[in-house]
Amino acid sequence: MSVRVDGLTAGYGNSPVLHEVAADLAAGRSCALIGRNGSGKTTLMRCINGILKPTKGTITVSGREIRSMKRDEIARLISLVPQGNYSPFQFSCLEIILMGGAARIKPWSAPCAGERLQALEICREVGIVELAERPFNSLSGGQKQLVMLARALHQNAPVMLLDEPNSHLDFPNQHMMMGLMRRFVRERGVTALITLHDPNLALQYCDDVVMLREGRVVAAGPTAEILDDVHLQEVLGPGILMERTVSGGRVVVPRNM
Amino acid sequence: MKKSLIIFCLFAFGLALVMSLALGRYPIGPADLLGLAGSLLPGIAADAVPVEVRMVFWNIRVPRILLGIAVGSGLSIAGVVFQALFRNPLAAPDILGVTAGSGFGAALAIMFFTRMALGVQGLAFLFGVVAVSIAYFLANRSWDRSASVLVISGIVVSAVFQAGVSILMYLADPYDQLAKIVFWIMGSFHAASWAKVQVTLPVVVVGSLLLTVFGWRLNVMTHNEEEALSLGVDVFRWRLFYLGISTLVVASSVAAVGNISWIGLIVPHIARYLVGTEHRRLIPVAAFIGGGFLLIMDTVARTVSVSEIPISIITSILGAPFLGYLVIHRGRKGALGVGAG
Repeated sequence: MSVRVDGLTAGYGNSPVLHEVAADLAAGRSCALIGRNGSGKTTLMRCINGILKPTKGTITVSGREIRSMKRDEIARLISLVPQGNYSPFQFSCLEIILMGGAARIKPWSAPCAGERLQALEICREVGIVELAERPFNSLSGGQKQLVMLARALHQNAPVMLLDEPNSHLDFPNQHMMMGLMRRFVRERGVTALITLHDPNLALQYCDDVVMLREGRVVAAGPTAEILDDVHLQEVLGPGILMERTVSGGRVVVPRNM
Repeated sequence: MKKSLIIFCLFAFGLALVMSLALGRYPIGPADLLGLAGSLLPGIAADAVPVEVRMVFWNIRVPRILLGIAVGSGLSIAGVVFQALFRNPLAAPDILGVTAGSGFGAALAIMFFTRMALGVQGLAFLFGVVAVSIAYFLANRSWDRSASVLVISGIVVSAVFQAGVSILMYLADPYDQLAKIVFWIMGSFHAASWAKVQVTLPVVVVGSLLLTVFGWRLNVMTHNEEEALSLGVDVFRWRLFYLGISTLVVASSVAAVGNISWIGLIVPHIARYLVGTEHRRLIPVAAFIGGGFLLIMDTVARTVSVSEIPISIITSILGAPFLGYLVIHRGRKGALGVGAG
């Protein structure tokens, strides 16, 4: 399912963070959102998810405007993997994952046996079956993030937003997370938008990239075409370069910083 | 929850019920209790039981016990709901000013509306609801729609109504009205009657049932607002729903028996320790424990000394150290709801 952002201006109070942002997320592809701190990545995610109302512009999912939808309708189309996570109360991981089904469960009802089976199946897919009955707050940062991914998958929405999913993860877990994301995009046809700080992860795992600087889109398109020295330096600052590795791959490195 | 624990809880509740029915200023012996229990069966008359015992049993003991169980359950369920909505294991049902508002209403009735039928209860209920409504609408005027703004509004409203109570206490006749106000604020079941049961019980029962039925969604509400919204729950609408119902339950409880401290804070923790946080499971368990707990506390309040002790004193003496115990010994294991994470 495609997402179209058109002429979007949004912010907090009287200070706009995003200015006339336009971007297209093609169905069944993963797109990295790259920019420095404060460039408006999370604000854009919040607008797409209908949390923050834009002052100008439109966001449509498969032609339907987000602004006109109710919360449960949005949740059936868009899921979120939040950055960091904390629950003030002790839930088991399975209970947390089952909450992904909230939009399709009647307010006076609770998850049925079918929902539980589906959630356990997702646990198997993500590789966290052994965590299902464990208390969520007792998990490591990496494990928690996998539970958040499982919850988003249980939401079963065609569009998935991942807000800095790697922010609390170590190096191997970052790659495991991104690998899983790519797998689900390919296998389930999910459209994924991921905010990333490391352009190398975008290079390795994402089909497309949108580069933001001070709330404006600098470049957008297929990762292989867009991630070059000019755009990297414009968005992330001077001294960021794309270099060739011995094996012929490409890697983004800082120089003279 | 283990089966043996369920059996133990049911047994303890049954024992507390029988003790509560039997003990008091006019003790009712086992033979009379059996006779009264037998009279509930069709075809058996209670003639063997002296008429004064029957009077005490049906007109004093039974309504008092029913009110105790209802208020204990109601406050405990409201405690669970408030802690979930405010994402704070230390939130109590009076966080939005319901107790302060009810206290003001009761004081007002004690001083100026003494002849009104159910005046104290009616005004206490009314002002309890008014206090929470003011807190809610005050918070709604803020650009920040988070639950913490609601807490601050609750503090503001509580302070204003407490000041109002202080003014009324200052103006009250020290030999009559002042004592009544103080005694009401400390809470007591001594004035329990069928009239109070008839007014309080339906609100508490219907409210508790609604909160139980709609309990699962509270799990989602314990997440931060952005997460809950992205899971498809309109946090702001549902917060009003849960707050509205639990406020009616708390206001009708407090209006009937006065302020009862700690129950709404402590019981949710005990229940959560036994069955976890999943609210559809947690709410009925909290109701059961809260009802039983207050039943025992009330029995203690009216039996340990010659004159009856206000119930809040008993619940505070036992409740506060218990919370201290949880903080020191069980906090890391999640008894306070907070995991080691």
